[in-house]
Amino acid sequence: MSLFLPKLTCKKDIDEAIKGVAEKVVVLRFGSDDDSVCLQLDEILSKTAHDLSNMASIYIVDVDKAPIYTRYFDISYIPSTVFFFNGQHMKVDYGSPDHTKFVGSFKTKQDFIDLIEVIYRGAMRGKMIVQSPIDPKNIPKYDLLYHDI
Amino acid sequence: MGAHYCAICKQTTFSGKKHVFGKSHQSRLRVVLLKFTEKVKEARRTLKKPQVEKFDCTQHKQKIWCYCCEVEIERNVTDDNMTVLYGGVIEHMATPEHKNKTHKFWWDNKADPKLKDKVLFTAEEAERFKAEVSEVLETFVEKEDEYIKQEAKFIRAQEKHRQEVMQTLLERKEEPELSNGPNSSRLSAEVPVSSQLQSRGWGQQMGNAFADSMSEVTQTAAGQGLTFIGYQDSSTSGNVHTGAVPPWLQDDPLEGTSGAAPQKEIGPSLQDFLKQKEQEKLKKLPPNRVGANFDHSSHTDANWLPSFGRVWNSGRRWQSRHQFRQEERQKRKQKKQHGTESSKKAKMTEQLSSSGV
Repeated sequence: MSLFLPKLTCKKDIDEAIKGVAEKVVVLRFGSDDDSVCLQLDEILSKTAHDLSNMASIYIVDVDKAPIYTRYFDISYIPSTVFFFNGQHMKVDYGSPDHTKFVGSFKTKQDFIDLIEVIYRGAMRGKMIVQSPIDPKNIPKYDLLYHDI
Repeated sequence: MGAHYCAICKQTTFSGKKHVFGKSHQSRLRVVLLKFTEKVKEARRTLKKPQVEKFDCTQHKQKIWCYCCEVEIERNVTDDNMTVLYGGVIEHMATPEHKNKTHKFWWDNKADPKLKDKVLFTAEEAERFKAEVSEVLETFVEKEDEYIKQEAKFIRAQEKHRQEVMQTLLERKEEPELSNGPNSSRLSAEVPVSSQLQSRGWGQQMGNAFADSMSEVTQTAAGQGLTFIGYQDSSTSGNVHTGAVPPWLQDDPLEGTSGAAPQKEIGPSLQDFLKQKEQEKLKKLPPNRVGANFDHSSHTDANWLPSFGRVWNSGRRWQSRHQFRQEERQKRKQKKQHGTESSKKAKMTEQLSSSGV
């Protein structure tokens, strides 16, 4: 849990954040305050929030507070980080099974900064999906088994 | 001897004493002496009849340049209260130093010796002048005292008059108050009883109105076959009798709120300007960026969801949103069915429906 990042507690707040932030990357971190990996990730997010303030707005969302979003984004592992730009969801090809969200914590602050920059530049060029700049070694490994696909 | 400075011509001459005999020097000297003797003549006029005046710092501080002694001398003698005109000039010109210097000046500049006597006062003349001045001074002081006394008398009379006027005013104010007190209460109690009493009351009120015209309202009114609508209270704003600001010159507070804009600003407002500035900034961004035309202020209902691309989504992103909605709906249906039918059957239907999507 981070005291330095704004928290969104209901669906309406999340809607506002996604819709309202203009020309900036919206970072939504879905997780819970008592999870150890979430704490790691929050540390990285809060430390880089100021440097990225021109490029990104970072928000913390509790998975239990907005179940509709949790279902919609199909969040099965926490923490999961989702990116938006001008109200549009940004996909990132991490080399992991899921392009829609980043699962787990970043290894370093620089990884996160790089990722935000790539998303920002991609979005400015009109790309809805970007290639992740993070070293595949630093991306947490996980398996997803999709139901009826 | 070398260079010789001539005070009359105000220049240095190298021809020595010869200069004073020159035409230009003599003409200048004539002019200088003419002016100087003119001033001394005026002093001589007062010699017989000295003049003493009240001191006036703008006029009685004049000074005269004595060409013979080459010093500035006071024209008048004064003690900051009164002035003896030309006292300073006469005093200076009666001194033996001035006499010596004058002789020297006349010799040096080769001036007309006839004029010399004009700028010299004898000791006897000065003595006589002093004696006369003392007499004149005494009479002057007496005159001044008399004048001051007269002034004091006038001021006292004025003060007395003012006091009297004040006294009469105060008395006049007290009088109507006393008469109005009981009378007005009686009037309000028995308005329709007697018209005579009323008319008298009116007259007194009119008198009252002259005394203090600030709080002037109709207090009593009666008429045959007329409808009484109640007395108008205008103690705060004044009315037509008191000369208050008329309503058509006042701005109506109610109208201001109901009207579109009481003070419409000319030109674009600050908000418009800031919005425009923001728009200009956005123009620099690439036009084909993600969500370039997204309306950030658009109002959305509670069921709004961002368009989200699912992991293996092949179609448009909004399709995943529709897909999600459908699933939600089916889940709800399924929950309802769950209560009535067996769990196995429910699973079957779910599988069927999801594969259909």
